[in-house]
Amino acid sequence: MVEVIRQFASGIYNLLLGMFTSGKHLARHAITVQYPKERWEVPERSRGMVVLLTDHETGQLNCTACLLCMRGCPSGAIDIEVEKDEKGRRHLKNFTVDFHLCCFCGLCQEACNFSAIKLSRKYEFPEYDKKDLIFDIRKLQAEGMDVPYEKPVRKKVEPKPPAAPSEAAPAQPSVPETPGPEKPPSSDTPPAEADGPNPTEAG
Amino acid sequence: MAEELRTEDMTMNMGPQHPSTHGVCRLVLTLDGEVIKDCQPVIGFLHRSIEKMCENRTYAQCIPLMDRFEYCTSMSCNWAFCLAAEKLSDIKVPERGEYLRVIMGELNRIASHLIFVGVTPMDCGALTPFLYTFRERERIMDLFEMTCGQRLTYNYIRIGGVAKDIPPEFIPKCREFLDIFEEKIRDYEKLLVDNPIWIARNKGVGIITPQLVYDYCISGPSARASGVNFDIRKNDPYSIYDRFDFDIPLGTGGDCYDRFNVRVNEMRQSARIVAQALDHLPDGEIRVKVPLKFKPNPGEVYSRRENSRGEMGVYLVSDGSTKPFRIRARGGSFSHLQAVPHIVKGLKIADLVAIFASMDIIMPEIDR
Repeated sequence: MVEVIRQFASGIYNLLLGMFTSGKHLARHAITVQYPKERWEVPERSRGMVVLLTDHETGQLNCTACLLCMRGCPSGAIDIEVEKDEKGRRHLKNFTVDFHLCCFCGLCQEACNFSAIKLSRKYEFPEYDKKDLIFDIRKLQAEGMDVPYEKPVRKKVEPKPPAAPSEAAPAQPSVPETPGPEKPPSSDTPPAEADGPNPTEAG
Repeated sequence: MAEELRTEDMTMNMGPQHPSTHGVCRLVLTLDGEVIKDCQPVIGFLHRSIEKMCENRTYAQCIPLMDRFEYCTSMSCNWAFCLAAEKLSDIKVPERGEYLRVIMGELNRIASHLIFVGVTPMDCGALTPFLYTFRERERIMDLFEMTCGQRLTYNYIRIGGVAKDIPPEFIPKCREFLDIFEEKIRDYEKLLVDNPIWIARNKGVGIITPQLVYDYCISGPSARASGVNFDIRKNDPYSIYDRFDFDIPLGTGGDCYDRFNVRVNEMRQSARIVAQALDHLPDGEIRVKVPLKFKPNPGEVYSRRENSRGEMGVYLVSDGSTKPFRIRARGGSFSHLQAVPHIVKGLKIADLVAIFASMDIIMPEIDR
């Protein structure tokens, strides 16, 4: 009989303890945010919409059409059209990101040596029509216009043994000789193929 | 003469769209009244063929896929895959990289256990802890987001290290979280541990004996709740876990109540590990350079690590090319689900819900 009473008292005490624990929250302010009206500031590294970055001095895209981001993409969301001029230089013709396929993993940003592609902090871009989610080069450039970024720190390219030392410094952004509409600032850099001279961090 | 009264068993489907099946799992129950006579889990509703998809991708591209392997502990899945690839090609991760991995892995374990501590009472009818645990989980998600940019699919741990160094505001925010966290755990315990309703629902329900643990390969906190002292962090140390001072919480009864308490105590130990790792965080490189076309040595390897649900192992076969020849990932939940029919025979449906929740089964890990 004593045991029953003890259990009963203990049960009542612990129920009241639980009620007190949750009752403490009556006296504090809400920690939730009323989403459409109030918004969080997402962190600097937040991975949102993929954008193409523009060199604000020349007004041209940083992209050199090296295709590393396209190869690095695990879901095949990036599609790049490249055309070659008569001198054999590569020009970016079109750059498409299909946001149905994109998984926002950030591997394209990591593969890029030229700060040409970045995952911006913009996280809400729903559309009513599916085909509006396929972004072409103009849309991607327009979205990336006001995205801040650091200028690429060009890594020192190790000269190949037979190469002359003058060729070993393509790191300075040289002025393009032939002005093209989408001419990247350093298009005379050899396109960074997989065995190219640009060591990348995309492991 | 009236026909003789007779009863017959009823077959009932629990799921696939049942809120307490944690994913999409169908349990075909044979019932005698309310008593379960047989339980047959049907799996495969969440199959995404992650292992097969990995065969068509390079090693770096597999890591975002491993995020989706089990989305409550993405960091751990990244880590398990990278451990296997590093073991295959003898890559030594720098000190700071290892410490960052431990910090992220343990924070992710806390986040996963917070889901458990919130969702299990909700399955048993107590809604309040869910709101509290998700409030704390948000803080961990914030820490992850400021480090790697995402809240759920991190893609942070890479072969040879981690992707990015932590931002300067990470350490003060993480310490702030660890300071308040102990008090919050006490709050969860006040709500549940001595609560008579919670005890009536869970104590003595769904007992897993140590023999059953060995029979069904149950691992992780569910095994430790039965008194089986097996933790890969202690028994087969990987990374730098041998440097930290932490305990392995053990249960005695092996019932739902113990499985809950073991996980609550494990969160405390994980917080201890994170605090120690923050104290001793060295400077230096976070990652060794691996070539763009990463080619591990040919061969096969099995590496395992302690996930929040049990042993998470990756079996990796490489033929020396840039793509893995075969990947087989093992999660703890599959073995746990196997054991459920054995445990629930003779119990009631309400007990099945409590048992299913207390095993911390998550379906994407089973179906992959």
